Amino acid sequence: MAGKVAPLEAVGDLVADGDVVALGGAWFANHPMAAVRQLLRSGRRDLHAMTVVGSIDVDLLAGAGSLAHLSFSMVTLEAFGLAPNMRRGIEGGTLGFTEYTGLGLLIGLEAQGRGVPYLPYRGPFGSDIPARYPDIYSSVHCPFSGEELTAVRAIAPDVAIVHATRCDAEGNAQWDGTSGPDVEMAKAARRVIVTCEEVVSREEIVARAHHTKVPGYYVTAVVEAPFGAHPTSHVPLYPQDAWELMDYAAAAGGDGLRAYVDRLRAEDEPGYRARVLGGDRARVLRALADEAQLVETAT
Amino acid sequence: MTGYEVHELMTCRVAAEVDGEGVVVMGSFTPLAYAAYMLAKLTHARDAYLVGFDAVGMAPVRLSFTGTEAAAYKGAVGRWGMLTEINSIHLSNHGGVEAVSSAQFDGSGAINLSAIGDFERPKVRLPGGAGAAEVIKMYRRMVAYFGSHTPRTLVDRVAFTTGTRWMVGDAARTAHHLQPGPIVVVTNLAVLVKDEDDRPFRIESLHPGVDAGTVVENTGFALEVPDTIPTTAEPTAEQLRLLREEIDPSGTVRFDFVPARERLDYLRSILDAEWARAEASLQPALAARA
Repeated sequence: MAGKVAPLEAVGDLVADGDVVALGGAWFANHPMAAVRQLLRSGRRDLHAMTVVGSIDVDLLAGAGSLAHLSFSMVTLEAFGLAPNMRRGIEGGTLGFTEYTGLGLLIGLEAQGRGVPYLPYRGPFGSDIPARYPDIYSSVHCPFSGEELTAVRAIAPDVAIVHATRCDAEGNAQWDGTSGPDVEMAKAARRVIVTCEEVVSREEIVARAHHTKVPGYYVTAVVEAPFGAHPTSHVPLYPQDAWELMDYAAAAGGDGLRAYVDRLRAEDEPGYRARVLGGDRARVLRALADEAQLVETAT
Repeated sequence: MTGYEVHELMTCRVAAEVDGEGVVVMGSFTPLAYAAYMLAKLTHARDAYLVGFDAVGMAPVRLSFTGTEAAAYKGAVGRWGMLTEINSIHLSNHGGVEAVSSAQFDGSGAINLSAIGDFERPKVRLPGGAGAAEVIKMYRRMVAYFGSHTPRTLVDRVAFTTGTRWMVGDAARTAHHLQPGPIVVVTNLAVLVKDEDDRPFRIESLHPGVDAGTVVENTGFALEVPDTIPTTAEPTAEQLRLLREEIDPSGTVRFDFVPARERLDYLRSILDAEWARAEASLQPALAARA
C-alpha cells in the first residue's frame, strides 16, 4: 500500500521535540495510544500535549517525562481516580499547564480550521478561567447588536494524532464510533497523523463514504495500528480495557511507574499486543462490545 | 417504601428533573447521572432526547464500566463528533438538564473542578471541568449532586470558579439569552433549590429521617429554611425494579458511595462479573468451533 502509509515508527519522525501535539479521543474513548507508546519509544521530549478530555494518554506521557506542558479541559482516570502524573507534575511545579474551558478549546481549534484568527461565542461568563489566559480568551462586541461575547484565539497545533476505524492510503479516514474532537484537531494542525485499526483500499472507503470524517487532503501520514486505542476504547470494535487501566492506575499511583514505562519502551507494538492482549483478553474485550445491552433487549 | 439505599433515592430525584423538553448530553461515565437519565426515559420522560459519548438520540442502555459506551451506539439514531452536533446543543439553547458533581460548590451556583489551593501551584490539582464552564450556564436546569453533604464540599465560596450558573433568576436569564430554569442540588441529606439571584438556596425537601438542623449544620453557605419542609419522595417499587434489574444490575451507581478503602475491591468485583459474562457469551461460539 503506497501513498501516505507509514510504519508506526514514523510517528517519532513526524513529531519533533517541543512540538504542540494534539491527541484525539475523549473520556476513555479512542485516544491514539499506539502513537503515544511510540512517542515514548522514540524518546521525544519537551512536548506540549493538548487534549480536550484526556485520560491515560496524557497522564502516561507526563509520567514518562515526555511533556513540558499540558493543555486540557479535563484529565481524569474516572473510576480509577484522579490522573496521578498530571497531579504530581502540576502540584510539584514541574509540568506547565493551560486549563481551557471545554467548548473554548474546541472553538479555538475550529477557528484555526476555518482560517480565522478567533471565533466569538456566548462563553463561560463568570468562570475564573478566561482571566487567567488573556492571550487565549478575550471579549468582543457583536458588530450588529453590541452584545458582549467571548473571543477564543485560534489554536494551531504542530501535529494532530487521531485514531480512526479505517483509512485508505490517501488518508481518507472513517470512524464507526466515538470521534470526539478528532475532526477539529485534524483540521487545525499543521501535520496530521491518522492511526487506524485497518488500512483499507479506496473501494472499501467508497462503500461506506458516509463514515468518512477526515478527508485525505488534511492528512500527512497513515499508520495501521490494530488495537491502536487500547487500553482506551474503539467502539464498536472494543471497549476500554478496565483491567489494564486498573493496572496502570496502580502503577502510576504507586512506585511502579518507572517499570511500567520501561517495559513499554523495551517492546515494539506487536510485542505490546502479544503481552497485554494475549490469552483471552482480546476476545473478551470484543465480546464486551458485542454484548453491550440496551434495556429494551435486556433479559 | 423501605429497603432502599440513599444513592437510589438520589438517582430517582435527579431523574425527576428530566422531562421531554430539550436534549440531555452525557460525557464521562458518571453512573448516578447516567442511571437517572435512563430511569427517566423508561418512566415519566419517554420523549427525553439523550446523547451519550457521540451517540445521538440513544436508547436506554444497561450500565457497566466496560459496556456503556458500546451500548450507547446500538440504539442511537446518529453519530457525530464534539463540535458537529454536541456544541450546537450546548450553545444554541437545546440543552435540557445538566447534572454535575464537583469538589466544591457554593451558594451562588459556582463549581470548582480545577484546584484546591493556589491555582498555579495547587495543593490538589483536580480534573478540570471539561464543558461544564459553558454548559451549566446554558442549560434549562442545572442539577448538582453530592453523595456526601458536608461543609467541605458545599462551601461558602469556591476556591476557584471553574464554571457557574452566572444568572439564576428567570428574568435575568431570559434577558441574557439563557433558558429560564433553577439550580437543583441533590445530596444524601436533602434537596436544595435556588431560582433567584438575590435569595439563598432553600431546603426544598428533606430525605426521610433527616432534620433541617443537620442540613444547615453541614452546609457551608446560608440556607433559607421554610417553616414546613416536605419529605423527599422515596423510590417506588417500580423505580427500584428498573434500577436494580434493568438499568444497573451490577451496581455501578453504588460504586461512588462505597467507603474509600473498599472501593478498589468493589470495582474489581464488578469487573470480574463483566469479564465472566463476556466469557460466557463466547462459549457457544467456542463449542460450535470444536
